[in-house]
Amino acid sequence: MRRFHRSRPRRTEVERVSDTQERLLGSEMTGEDVGYGETLIEVDGLKKYFSQESGLLGGVSLESDQFPPISVSRTRVKAVDDVSFEIKRGETLGLVGESGCGKSTLGRTILRLLEPTDGNIYFKGDDLAELSGEQLRQKRSEIQIIFQDPQSSLDPRMTVGQIIEEPMRAHDMVDEERREARAKELLEKVGLDPHHYNRHPHAFSGGQRQRVNLARALSVNPDFIVCDEPVSALDVSIQAQVLNTMEQLQAEFGLTYLFIAHDLSVIRHISDRVAVMYLGNVVELAEKEELFENPQHPYTEALLESIPVPDPRDSDARGVLEGEVPSPVDPPSGCRFRTRCPRLIAPEGYELTDEEWERTRAFMRAVKRRTFEPATAAELRREFFGERLPTGAAGEIVDEAIEHVATDHDERGDDERSPTDWESATDLLLESFARQSICARERPAYEVEPAYGSGTHYTACHLHR
Amino acid sequence: MSSEPLLRVENLKTQFFTDAGTVRAVDGISFEVHEGEIVGLVGESGAGKSVASMSLLRLVENPGEIVGGEITYRGETIFGLEEGPDGELREREDMLSNEEVRTRIRGNEIAVIFQDPMESLNPVFTVGGQLREFIELNRDLSSGEAREEAVDMLREVGIPDPEERYDEYPHQFSGGMRQRVLIAMALACEPNLIIADEPTTALDVTVEGQIIDLVDDLQEKYGTSFVWVTHDMGVVAEICDRVNVMYLGEIVEQAPVDELFYDTKHPYTEALLDSIPRPDRTVGELDPIEGVMPEAISPPSGCRFHPRCPDAREVCQRVHPETKPVAVADGEPHRAACVKHDAFDVGYDESVPLEKEPQTSSESETDAAVSPEPAETNGGGESE
Repeated sequence: MRRFHRSRPRRTEVERVSDTQERLLGSEMTGEDVGYGETLIEVDGLKKYFSQESGLLGGVSLESDQFPPISVSRTRVKAVDDVSFEIKRGETLGLVGESGCGKSTLGRTILRLLEPTDGNIYFKGDDLAELSGEQLRQKRSEIQIIFQDPQSSLDPRMTVGQIIEEPMRAHDMVDEERREARAKELLEKVGLDPHHYNRHPHAFSGGQRQRVNLARALSVNPDFIVCDEPVSALDVSIQAQVLNTMEQLQAEFGLTYLFIAHDLSVIRHISDRVAVMYLGNVVELAEKEELFENPQHPYTEALLESIPVPDPRDSDARGVLEGEVPSPVDPPSGCRFRTRCPRLIAPEGYELTDEEWERTRAFMRAVKRRTFEPATAAELRREFFGERLPTGAAGEIVDEAIEHVATDHDERGDDERSPTDWESATDLLLESFARQSICARERPAYEVEPAYGSGTHYTACHLHR
Repeated sequence: MSSEPLLRVENLKTQFFTDAGTVRAVDGISFEVHEGEIVGLVGESGAGKSVASMSLLRLVENPGEIVGGEITYRGETIFGLEEGPDGELREREDMLSNEEVRTRIRGNEIAVIFQDPMESLNPVFTVGGQLREFIELNRDLSSGEAREEAVDMLREVGIPDPEERYDEYPHQFSGGMRQRVLIAMALACEPNLIIADEPTTALDVTVEGQIIDLVDDLQEKYGTSFVWVTHDMGVVAEICDRVNVMYLGEIVEQAPVDELFYDTKHPYTEALLDSIPRPDRTVGELDPIEGVMPEAISPPSGCRFHPRCPDAREVCQRVHPETKPVAVADGEPHRAACVKHDAFDVGYDESVPLEKEPQTSSESETDAAVSPEPAETNGGGESE
């Protein structure tokens, strides 16, 4: 397998659209300069860190024993950390991950609703991360967002007509009369009755409100829409209706979607390509069929195995993930998934068989999470290693760790039974094994041959080194 | 199936008396739960599944009220009415008093796990303290014994380092961990039945998987029965032994889980299964159910699903189908409430299919004056 190198962005010369005045529904609506299948948006090395403290003096604390007697805390939540991908025109890129993985932050940062900490966002060749003020405002007519909660994203005091016309007004598109005509036309396009033009959002059901959101996003003729969990709040039968409408609109207006969701079934239905996020990183990115049928990252595999399949005869055993997601303030080095990965690679330098390594890894994690009750050294050996400790240096380390947590310190002959020392054992094991693994030392990024389709398959796992 | 069911619900009716009218949230449902089985209660939001599950413990609050039916738990009447001398309905003699339900039934015999673990734990007390208090009150243990028991329970449900975490507050626990605490709490008194109201809905999929596995293990170990309320067909397939599908306050289909998925008898269940995107295969086009579920305040005449039903015929507007056995699977009846089955014999075959009139939207009752023109296309979106 060859090492995956991020390609430098190819800047294409693009004319800026100065005249947005007369763009109307219909065929002219399609993107001006980017053909189907060409890159519409390219995200390169995007980072978004949040400082944990807010406010003017946030993060400032008094330290009396130094000069000046204050210190500024630098703890930052690395919500999105060095993410790169591109989306082609007319395509839907699904972005999936569990809560807290940074997928919504990523979506918002791409739209510059949040200021990126670092990195570039090339949209039709312009770097959105560099734009500011009026230029950025102008660009916003081409990029739109749909939020998860259809209730709170609509102003209850405005009529549906006003809501849909507002973006056009903000971007000074077409005159008053044609705005109304266009709003009604859009209502029909998204599957609502144009007669509902004067109604308020409360008169609509959840699915219908999400359709109003769609119409609003479409009103300024965007090329690219970030859909942030657009159907998560809807009942399954309504979900299907809205998903179908979104697909029709995409075909009709040549839209490009970044579709953010936690529901893998929805992602599988709507996406062309899928990116899986974990703790601020994209860990795998491939065409839909390839990703679901031939996942290469252990996290993706775990995610896919976890979904309850609506089929009682499906009896695939679930590989349940151990532990919980670490804090994004201080994420693990190298591969971020390594602390929970069932296939953490054995560190070089020890002569361990696969089975020995498996047992050592299980023991290390059990100690770290303190999942077992205190027991004697012999009992622990039996429970985790079945009497046979690994040979060589690894065995000595394990033995020492067992001594730390065992309730009897017989071999040392101590008279008084000192309390078990979980911390020393954890430190020793992590330092000797986990941190020596290639998974901890290098950040993985590889490309593998796809088994389905012809697209590239990116995976951030050292198993493919 | 073993002889006497653990819990029997017959013709249960729960209504809410609001200014706008009477909401018939649960309208005559019957089902049984046997020892050691997991019974699913499935439906979309508004189907009445949560109200039904809360009625089982008489936890319905004003303006809601159980107005009819019978709930029997191991021969004891949790709820039951009889006709008084003047023809009015009154509570039966043998019905347990509020006091009895509180002290003997809730927690000890039947426990509940709610959907939102943050709201069911008190944020100002430690997790361990809440669990200990619960055990102390319900099991007559001393404070020290209860503490030990609480720590054991926390370990049992897979909370790492339970001694340490005993003294932490709910906000220091993640969502999945909080749900584990609630499971520990529900199991603490070793009840025979646990009502789980969407216990995994708020959780991430990997955490959901962990919790489902945990419940599976614990169920095997303790033999506890479950009433599992959910809207997720995936979870149903994974965990339930028998399933009740609810639509607008009624149970429309009742079957063992395999039959429900592979020999579906009610058009609603079928439509529901067709409309969900699949995680295990790529579906070309989704086939959504048309329209939305009407309000329970003014349910449609006849079969409540007929305005959205692809198989609806004229007779469906008139005849209200009771849930009847339409097939037998492994000695267990497969019940459905749809007149298209022979068991009903109300002339479905001769009846003319209903013209699919374009549905008015759900809020159309509020302003029927503005008659919407039939929208021609757009994927039936109008029908919402």
